[in-house]
Amino acid sequence: MDYELEPSRVDFLKALGAHLAERVAPRRAQLDSCGPEERARLMRDNIAGLGTHGFLAAMSIGNPPDLVGHYLALEETAKACPATCLSARASAFLCAGAISLFGSPGAKETYLPRLLSGEAVGALAYSEPGSGSDLGALGAVAESDAGVYLVDGEKDIVVNAPIAEVFVVLARTPEGPSLLVVEGGARGLEIGPCLDTLGIRGAPVGGVRMRRCEAACLLGREPGMGLEQLERLLSMGAVGAAALCVGIAHACMEISTERAKSRSAFGKPIGMFQDVGFKLADMFTLVDLSRLLALRAAWAFDTGERDAPVRAACAKLFSAEACSKVANWGMQIFAGHGYLAGSPIERLYRDARFGEICERTSEILRLTIANEELDRFAGFA
Amino acid sequence: MDFDLAPEQRMFRETVYRWAKEEVAPLCEDADLRGAFSPEIWGRLAGFGILGLPFPEEFGGSGADIVTCCLAGEALGHAGVDGGHLLAWGAHTYLCGHNILSFGTDEQKRKYLPRLASGEWIGCMGLTEPGSGSDAASLSTSARRTGSGYVLNGTKTFITNAPVSDVFVIFANVDKKLKHEGITAFIVEKGTPGLSTGRPFHKMGCRCSATSEVILEDCEVPAENVLGGEGMGWIIALSGVEWDRCTLLSPMLGCAMFNLDACARYANERRQFGRPIRSFQAISRRIADMKVFVEALRLAIYRVAWAKDKGRMLNPLQAAVSKVYAGDRGFEMASEAVQVFGGYGFMHEYPVERNFRDSKLAAIGGGTSDIMRMIVSRIMLMGFGV
Repeated sequence: MDYELEPSRVDFLKALGAHLAERVAPRRAQLDSCGPEERARLMRDNIAGLGTHGFLAAMSIGNPPDLVGHYLALEETAKACPATCLSARASAFLCAGAISLFGSPGAKETYLPRLLSGEAVGALAYSEPGSGSDLGALGAVAESDAGVYLVDGEKDIVVNAPIAEVFVVLARTPEGPSLLVVEGGARGLEIGPCLDTLGIRGAPVGGVRMRRCEAACLLGREPGMGLEQLERLLSMGAVGAAALCVGIAHACMEISTERAKSRSAFGKPIGMFQDVGFKLADMFTLVDLSRLLALRAAWAFDTGERDAPVRAACAKLFSAEACSKVANWGMQIFAGHGYLAGSPIERLYRDARFGEICERTSEILRLTIANEELDRFAGFA
Repeated sequence: MDFDLAPEQRMFRETVYRWAKEEVAPLCEDADLRGAFSPEIWGRLAGFGILGLPFPEEFGGSGADIVTCCLAGEALGHAGVDGGHLLAWGAHTYLCGHNILSFGTDEQKRKYLPRLASGEWIGCMGLTEPGSGSDAASLSTSARRTGSGYVLNGTKTFITNAPVSDVFVIFANVDKKLKHEGITAFIVEKGTPGLSTGRPFHKMGCRCSATSEVILEDCEVPAENVLGGEGMGWIIALSGVEWDRCTLLSPMLGCAMFNLDACARYANERRQFGRPIRSFQAISRRIADMKVFVEALRLAIYRVAWAKDKGRMLNPLQAAVSKVYAGDRGFEMASEAVQVFGGYGFMHEYPVERNFRDSKLAAIGGGTSDIMRMIVSRIMLMGFGV
């Protein structure tokens, strides 16, 4: 047993933290408020910057898997700028991770160096207007035509779609759902306009429409494995989603603590009133426990523990709900000044709401976790 | 980073769990209904080596590390041992026994530890007073120096094990003007003139641990019974806090695991509206929440235990996190377990009812949840770099 981070990880985090403080954090407010073109330009630049120092590679899966490192890199990034965390993760983990887990040696060689250096941006397109939590209801189809898959369908909420050069797409082949790589310039691929979101606005999000769109390759040895592949990817993905939540919650806690120290009322700092100070303590507790759960889950994947997916589900559920609470308390501590558009807590408050929605809602996670526990005793019924 | 247990630690937890489920848990329901400390249960814990677990072998113990002690607490609670006997164990082995081990002289250790380990003697610790709870340093029990020792005067309250104890570790102040620097710990033996215990309290939960006042009226204690030296009492009391926030919490983790198992089993068996109630999300979501609670609490508790085994200074933030989470969320989760069982959960015959009552103590004893928040918020506001 050892609850501490290895010195090499601490050094890595220091280097990443310094990079983020210098290059990324100063732009987060601008990313939140600017228009789609500037957003795309800034986010491409942020991702490229993370790529040049090996940080994107750490956000991927690693070989052998290093989800502890993946988690730490993403949490650190989310503390500085949640949108950059989401975008970088969509590229380095959801897209490049899928290729590195399931792609042929050729596919890896073609795409990974570009994606992990930040030269290219990637995206994973799976949810549809009629298929979110229920991925089996998938509508996009792909048929093989002389050895080439042609994809037809629509994906409506795709992180990075407006800036991506590489798409991993879920579509139904005759054998069942499959993951395919579609390149940004492919014929028949149409990227929709940049969508406006409640929070994490700096991450470019858009829809994708494919009409007889030529896929570059299939991921996996045979078609029809898409749902299993996606399940594997997204069960690990809960670790990174937790990292996003912990980073946001941590940032809320930090600025709320500063506010409670610097803002005075009735002759003393407001943090000295228990109704404020104890909120800070509850923030700390939830952030601390979220991080513990997430690191535990990451470590379970790295060591091949069988229950890693359910641990990751617990971590994502806990940290997403914690993040909502922490942001809510933070807004309460900033009060009227926090409610002004453009205030840091206002931005984080909107960002925080994403946690319980993204990549498996809290409702879906509870079902997964409960069934796992209930099945232990199913034989008794 | 490594979250795994050693194979022998895993085996130890499994062994304790199986044994306690067979040999101890069946006796607990009856004891709890009577609200009585059970010498039979106590004897079985002693016989299995639980009472002296962290004491070195030369003092009749097993020399177990802190993580292993927590595994024992977790396994006992998980097996269905009631919170009262587990609390009695905590007061006996850690608050009394381990304080003597950490701060006692060789003679004190030789005299008391083997008897505490074997169960021949029962131990307790008296810090809280009628007028001094969360503000423990304000205690008013006095210790007046005499030629050969000290004379103690004062009243302690809510003292776990007091009515059945043979060995009392009592905190008193040698000079009120010195405030906490005057606080001194004394070992007082049963039968010492001037030492008496009050009528046992009837408690909401943890009913099998005997609890009462300890009254000291011109109670003469020889100088050799000072524990750790004059003025060391506050340091001893604070060191006990570390135990409160790992080993004493580990049974709460175990009880939550027991509840999770009980609810998961029941939700499979119980049918309403023509189907098992597990298929209703109102039930299954509670199972999920209990699972998350158990996993998070385990991490928080073992982090404290691991750091203590490494000989680290206590991280007060980490300790407070485990305490406040076990206390507040633990009570909520115990209440949800009762809800899963519906009307049956309201009946004494179902252990989830007992666990519900027992679980309330974690937010009160050994530093309330409010005190935990005070500690954390003060550290945050003092400029700690979070």
